[in-house]
Amino acid sequence: MAAAAKCSRLGGPLARQLLDSVDSVLFDCDGVIWRGDQVVPGAAEVINLLKRRGKRVFFLTNNSTKTRKMYAEKLTRLGFGASADEVFATAYCSAMYLKSVCGLEGKVYLIGSGAMRQELEEVGIQQVGVGPDLVSGGQADWAAVPLDPEVKAVLVGFDEHFSYMKLNKALQYLADPDCLLVGTNTDTRLPLEGGKAVPGTGCLVKAVETAAQRQAHVVGKPSRYMFDCVAAEFGLDPARSLMVGDRLDTDILLGTSCGLKTLLTLTGVSTLADAEGHRESGCPVRMAMVPDYFVDSVAELLPALQG
Amino acid sequence: MAGAAGGRGCRMIRGAQIRDVLDAAHNVLFDCDGVIWNGEAAVAGAPEVVRLLKRRGKRVFFVTNNCTRPRENYVQKFSRLGFTDVAEEEIFSSAYCSAAYLRDVAKVQGKVFVIGCPGVLKELQDAGVPVAEQGDEGPDVSVYNLPLDPDVKAVLVGYDERFTFMKLATACGYLRDAECLFLATDPDPWHPLRGGRITPGSGSLTAALETASSRKATVIGKPSRFMFECISSQFDLDPARSLMVGDRLETDVLFGANCGLATMLTLTGVSTLEDAHELQQSESPEKKDCVPDYVVESIADFLQALEE
Repeated sequence: MAAAAKCSRLGGPLARQLLDSVDSVLFDCDGVIWRGDQVVPGAAEVINLLKRRGKRVFFLTNNSTKTRKMYAEKLTRLGFGASADEVFATAYCSAMYLKSVCGLEGKVYLIGSGAMRQELEEVGIQQVGVGPDLVSGGQADWAAVPLDPEVKAVLVGFDEHFSYMKLNKALQYLADPDCLLVGTNTDTRLPLEGGKAVPGTGCLVKAVETAAQRQAHVVGKPSRYMFDCVAAEFGLDPARSLMVGDRLDTDILLGTSCGLKTLLTLTGVSTLADAEGHRESGCPVRMAMVPDYFVDSVAELLPALQG
Repeated sequence: MAGAAGGRGCRMIRGAQIRDVLDAAHNVLFDCDGVIWNGEAAVAGAPEVVRLLKRRGKRVFFVTNNCTRPRENYVQKFSRLGFTDVAEEEIFSSAYCSAAYLRDVAKVQGKVFVIGCPGVLKELQDAGVPVAEQGDEGPDVSVYNLPLDPDVKAVLVGYDERFTFMKLATACGYLRDAECLFLATDPDPWHPLRGGRITPGSGSLTAALETASSRKATVIGKPSRFMFECISSQFDLDPARSLMVGDRLETDVLFGANCGLATMLTLTGVSTLEDAHELQQSESPEKKDCVPDYVVESIADFLQALEE
């Protein structure tokens, strides 16, 4: 049924119908409800009205630099009423993945942020490696660096302190084929205010994968795990859930893979032309990135919610 | 010569068979690490092999992806390890060839931003190619407001123990300009160290930068053809009369195949005979190109063929 009606503009009565047909709405953050520290106009009202109408609202982000608590603080500061348990960010989801899915018993060698360290500690996992770490001395010294025998996994997230030494240590740990390699996400850029960007976690994951000649298990969108994490805690029915995002290759692909309805907003990365291009392609992989609906901005949901 | 249907032979050879292969080759190209030496130790018999090949009128070249030293350091290493009369002109490292590419092929007009080690910087200096300041010191500098030098027209990435997120972000900043060249010294994902350990290679740093910039680097080192073209431009080699001897199938042997050379795997380094047989079973043409024509245990096996 969906195939014929893909990527339609969501107007008036259709919006009302769509919102009536779902119990939960999952929002990406960057490019959807805010851009850096700037709220997308109308976004806070949309979320608050959805909740007032009895919908459950969740926030799914690939950004690994904040804990769920930090995100809740940011959401509140920007006018969205939200609590930490509504937030599913990759720092949290990676820790959950290692704990619940991998059953990790042992330490993690962490290439990532202080926020990731906190989320790991919250689930009882100790880490080594966070913070600056540079090569010093001759190769004979630094190459033979002693390893912590309790490390059973390498976790890679966004890390401004990424260095050759950290890449080297990760490689040494990964010489043990039983040591897990997990990445928070593969986004190539981390978006900043004003349209600027810095290299994203995807680059760091790629460096480690290349050196170690193996693939990481990636937790973030479009991997299913982000949705499974929400569903495990809140019992969602995918057919009655809506994914709202700005990226076809992460948000929309996740939605489609998990059987959710999908809505593309044009306030972020992907364009309408991108979506239509995928739709015309005939390629099954690309077709999965075509949203059911699109809007110029989430503010277009307001009439349906206010009426 | 191997045809498309049969693929390359992967024949283990010794004695008279080696003599036949060497007779057909006017030029012998050796990889270094794992072929003629391992770290600071020459492969037993290697210096004598090189001497004898030259005595027989063969031209001998050394083709290495190792970009950590300038050529003059390599000359010293050859001498230190007992290889007499190896001249600087016979040594082709990815650092030297990257500098040559920038100066002679790309003819870069401007500076190069380098992620690399002192060896690369020295080769660029010797080639007269200007290098941009690193610029990542100072209190006002962060990844969120990077100072970019408008004279930078190329980015070169290679093995760098001092690699940082800041360098990655800076290089990415330069590569946003589609006119800015993007070069990598070599694609090696890791290098072997003594004692069985490995260390991340240029390939892993290049992968990070390719992902950040959504661009593909032009790779100078093996298996890309450029190093052969560099040698050829100076020495006029006939591929049909040239033999490539290496220890890494996906680097040295593939390089040889890409350049139309006969290829020989020596088992004193990274790749094993099993690796070669596994590639032989593969359906993929690129994997099949990594299968050598010949295999020897060590280049010392040449001695029997040469001493007579």
